[in-house]
Amino acid sequence: MTGTASKKPGALLVLILVQAFCAAFFLWDVMQEAGPLEVLALRDCHVAAEAVSALCLLAAVLFETHYLMTLLRRKAHLERQLSLAAGAFHEVILDHFERWNLTPAEQDVASFTIKGLSIAEIATLRGTAEGTVKSHLNGIYRKAGVAGRGALLSLLIDGLFQLPEGTTALIPHQKHA
Amino acid sequence: MKTFKTWDPLIRIFHWSLVGAFTANALILDDDGKAHQWVGYAVVALVLLRLLWGVIGPHTARFASFTPQVSEVFEQMSDMATRRKRAHLGHSPLGALMIFNLLAAMLVIGLSGYMMTTNVFFGVEWVEELHEVVVFWTEISVVAHVAAVVLESRRTGVNLQRAMVTGVKSVPDDLNLVK
Repeated sequence: MTGTASKKPGALLVLILVQAFCAAFFLWDVMQEAGPLEVLALRDCHVAAEAVSALCLLAAVLFETHYLMTLLRRKAHLERQLSLAAGAFHEVILDHFERWNLTPAEQDVASFTIKGLSIAEIATLRGTAEGTVKSHLNGIYRKAGVAGRGALLSLLIDGLFQLPEGTTALIPHQKHA
Repeated sequence: MKTFKTWDPLIRIFHWSLVGAFTANALILDDDGKAHQWVGYAVVALVLLRLLWGVIGPHTARFASFTPQVSEVFEQMSDMATRRKRAHLGHSPLGALMIFNLLAAMLVIGLSGYMMTTNVFFGVEWVEELHEVVVFWTEISVVAHVAAVVLESRRTGVNLQRAMVTGVKSVPDDLNLVK
């Protein structure tokens, strides 16, 4: 998720908006050409091809939006992390988050808790109740298969030590419990 | 719960009148009828009134108060991506972009619709197509607007649709505020 796109989320957003407008235009055009035939008009190769391209464009818009949100989430976590750890540790953390299938909210809470913030502090930063943060933490520990924050941290640091130079691909999924 | 007076009466009347007029013209009234034209003129009048109110109206109605910076747009999107909760007291940055989109679309629809009634542009193909494409775009935008209001209400815990009826935003105590 690095590269030019991560530095220019604005360009990506403009691209999404322009493509959304184009998708709308082509969908409208397909519907115009279909006319009263409706779905039966798809038997015509020209109309069918146009319909498929319009739907592909729509899929691209959805995919890019998902990508942009992931990008922004990683950026938000990296900014919080820079002061305490290098990029390599951040990569290890993200890799584990993905393996554990953490939800976006759980990822946010997990990255705060790794940084050492208390439940009350996380609740304030996220604008939620402490109970909500606790239930996110329970989900994180359950998915990671650890008992608490200490075990979570040692699991991540373990992953950092097993990291071959410059790669992040070979971290084994450690499942305790 | 803290409450904030957010939307003045004119904003609310404008909003719900526009909802009614656009729905009537897009879904109910006959496109070739006189009523369609008159409702169309009413929409243009409403939007022009809103543009004026955006310059002389109270703080939350003014374009200068809610035209977002690029950085503010991405801050809101980051909040959405991380499911963090912060409330905006006026329009949120993305909400503001949607408003500009809808206002501009309404004017294009109104102008192209009016052109179809003139001798010069009557029956001209591109005018008719422009009118219909932008109506379709607006319908998609309206669906996106409603979906965004529901999702953002759920994310932040501030009931946005009720605020557009009562004019008052009720913000939970533990929520952080922007601006």
